[in-house]
Amino acid sequence: MDGNISSWSTNDYDKESIRLCVEKIKEEFGQQFSNSKSILEQHSHTMTIHTSELPDGVVFVESKEDVQRVVQICGEYKCPIIPFGVGSSFEGHVNAPFGGISIDMNNMNKILNVYPEDLLVVVQPGVTREQLNTHLRDTGLFFPIDPGANASIGGMTATRASGTNAVKYGTMKDNVIALEVVTADGQLIKTANKARKSSAGYDLTRLMVGSEGTLGISTEITLKLYGIPEVIAGGRVSFPSVKDATDAVIMTIQSGIPVARIEFLDLAQVKAINNYSKTNLPEAPLLLLEFHGSDASVKEQSELFGEIASDHGGNDFEWTSNNEERNKLWKARHDAYWSCKAVRPEADIYSTDVCVPISKLSDCMIETIEDMEQNGLIGPIVSHAGDGNFHVALLIDKNSKEEFKKLDQFLARISERAIRMDGTCTGEHGIGQGKRKYMLKELGNAVDVMKQIKHAFDPHKIMNPGKLFL
Amino acid sequence: MAILNVNDNSLYNSYEYKISSAVEALKEEFGQQFSTSTSVREQHTSTTTVHKSELPDCVVFAESKEDVQKIVKICNEHGCPIIPFGVGSSLEGHLNATFGGVSIDMNNLNKIIEVHPEDSTVVVQPGVTREQLNTYLRDTGLFFPIDPGANASIGGMTSTRASGTNAVRYGTMKDNVISLEVVMPNGEIIKTANRARKSSAGYDLTRLIVGSEGTLGVITEITLKLYGIPEEIGAGRCTFPSVKDATDAVILTIQAGIPVARIELLDVAQVKAVNNYSKLNLPESPLLLLEFHGSKSSVKEQSELFNEISKDFGGDNFEWTSNIEERNKLWKARHDVYYAVKACRPEAQYIATDVCVPISRLSECIMDTIDDMEEHSLFGPIVGHVGDGNFHVQLLIDPKIKKEVEVANGFLERLAHRAINMDGTCTGEHGVGQGKKQYLIDELGATVDFMKRIKNELDPKGIMNPGKIL
Repeated sequence: MDGNISSWSTNDYDKESIRLCVEKIKEEFGQQFSNSKSILEQHSHTMTIHTSELPDGVVFVESKEDVQRVVQICGEYKCPIIPFGVGSSFEGHVNAPFGGISIDMNNMNKILNVYPEDLLVVVQPGVTREQLNTHLRDTGLFFPIDPGANASIGGMTATRASGTNAVKYGTMKDNVIALEVVTADGQLIKTANKARKSSAGYDLTRLMVGSEGTLGISTEITLKLYGIPEVIAGGRVSFPSVKDATDAVIMTIQSGIPVARIEFLDLAQVKAINNYSKTNLPEAPLLLLEFHGSDASVKEQSELFGEIASDHGGNDFEWTSNNEERNKLWKARHDAYWSCKAVRPEADIYSTDVCVPISKLSDCMIETIEDMEQNGLIGPIVSHAGDGNFHVALLIDKNSKEEFKKLDQFLARISERAIRMDGTCTGEHGIGQGKRKYMLKELGNAVDVMKQIKHAFDPHKIMNPGKLFL
Repeated sequence: MAILNVNDNSLYNSYEYKISSAVEALKEEFGQQFSTSTSVREQHTSTTTVHKSELPDCVVFAESKEDVQKIVKICNEHGCPIIPFGVGSSLEGHLNATFGGVSIDMNNLNKIIEVHPEDSTVVVQPGVTREQLNTYLRDTGLFFPIDPGANASIGGMTSTRASGTNAVRYGTMKDNVISLEVVMPNGEIIKTANRARKSSAGYDLTRLIVGSEGTLGVITEITLKLYGIPEEIGAGRCTFPSVKDATDAVILTIQAGIPVARIELLDVAQVKAVNNYSKLNLPESPLLLLEFHGSKSSVKEQSELFNEISKDFGGDNFEWTSNIEERNKLWKARHDVYYAVKACRPEAQYIATDVCVPISRLSECIMDTIDDMEEHSLFGPIVGHVGDGNFHVQLLIDPKIKKEVEVANGFLERLAHRAINMDGTCTGEHGVGQGKKQYLIDELGATVDFMKRIKNELDPKGIMNPGKIL
């Protein structure tokens, strides 16, 4: 899908200047630099159906000084810079529509300091969340945010990622305490110290979180940690309808049950899993739950939820705090991706997400399901129901122009639907290239304010151009 | 009352404010809603603090967002400073009109616009106070937790990124504002987000405005998160041999994941003051006061777990109760803090300041601060929101004694620097205002330039609350 790049003029970037910039970087960075075709291809978008747009060169940075130097050189030549983590973003964030330099952050993968008493850790952006949690295991602490992919912390910060347990632990915006950032003019700034709260000036931490590499490049990230729960329980229950399931979720949250994950699977998703994983789940909307706490608290949460579920027609609520049993209950969720793939093996998955106030969640999902039926699209739904956030995994044949067109129109409708319901065109994937026009619909003239901020930080538009704004 | 003057305003010299013509235009437009009487103007400066009062040229009592928009447009046209005014409970001179201009009194914008019980959200006008909101919400079973002590306006709390005693569980204003409607300096009304509980759509303008102290725009609508009123509230009280023992108990409590709702420390001076004023017999030793929210059994479990932890650190006589009267008795020491301190030296002026550090440094920071006061013959009882690493010193100063004022100024500077040197912040919840501008620079250095860039870009004429933060 070609992004509309009308207001990012190609005139902003001089091809010859970019070529000279690449030469200069090659000279300075030697072995850390590459412009081999395969490397360039890996560093443009590979996960999504946005057309890949290759950078002109890739630098594998080793340190914040490297990042600073690359940014300084690119600033001199007005050459675009695209930070690259593991490449698991969905909306074309790492494409290079105007060419330029991709900064590969993966070698900046050190866990710099753990502060167990403060429940904090300082990491470099290339650290992945699995790496972090493996490292933390002995401390009894963990970092909860789990977007599914083994994403880099830098990438998660840049897209304001969240995932299945945001209902309890929040999103990246809630869990980043401070950032060290290389700005577009090559300065190194820190957005905050390590206090858990602060009223000192503008919240630049939150401004950087979710800015998708368009304002600066994070070189250090201070994160909140949590004690590993004494007990983790899993639960599973089917409902007669989407509405019954979401009503149960609403009641659960209103009652203050501190549920750690509450995932909804629609009928299509349940069927896909039954097929793929050879399970016998009732062909009905399903909720999967996780509870964190002490033995007694997990038991109490599960029982309270069980009562709420049965009030809403929930059938056969099962729960367990046995690790293996829990994994069995949750298998449906873990297999979601591959089970979708198996529905139509020749197709690609196009994953999109929207988020609405939870009171609108069932309406929004039901309308979306009807929409797909009417238009001959297949897209099982998984929802982080506690947040009002859901994903549609559309199965699309890349080679069919007609399907692409249908997809495009569907994406416009689902975004408009979410916006009409006072929600957002993206709960956790970000805007990138794909959702720029929907953000404009959602926020109107507030986008002008964002552009002003962009201008204040990056007047020459070198930081990840072509993203966020049309 | 003029005591403090650490206020560099050279940044604002370049602006050409034209006030008298703007005041004329406002008078014509607003008639009865407009006032220039001295007593009204005196009420609309910073009166709760020791910063010198600086009167606005006029006050307009806004009734609607359209009023606010009109005022901003007139002021933008003429180049006239605007200072939004809530209940005037801020502590760092936020409401002073250093350069004159118009104070916008927001108190008539006090409607609770919509409660969405299913979404646990509410939309309010900025003049709504937190007590008004919670009274209104009582029948819904929901409440808004943030409690900075004073019955502040929600607009003011948003502007200073307020928090208070229960931030340890419910977060600060940054965590509880979902969306804002803001009149920007050019008079345009923007909405920073829709009502979804999370979003990855573009820059987080919500969090940029929260804590910006009226320097980027005037807030006209606020969407807040609500919570279910806990089934049970338990309260506890426990004395410790030392501040270190008390904070170690707090650290372990949080590490253990006990979801304590409030955890307040009173130092020996504060305990003595309360004993005197409230005729209590608390041991003259650091005191922790706690509150637990949850189901009956969970509150009991939390209390028992805390009791075990407190014993490990020499905690003595841990008492707890879920009876409301008993609970109020246990917490009386905390509720009477302000008057107890006042009573220590009735003729003195009260200076409340706050800093926040990583919790591992909290006891050291408090002890150094107590030593500092002893060394300089200052008297200032301490109360801490210790779960956040945040504490307040309530200095008692006789403003007529020049020496005392000088010593107090020196102390405030050392305190801010002590917190900064411990990787903390010069303000955890009061904000920067006029009083902490230099400390903000000491804390964040070049980062402050980026705040200035945002300010200049969004408010090129410098009309929004000039002389604050920057």
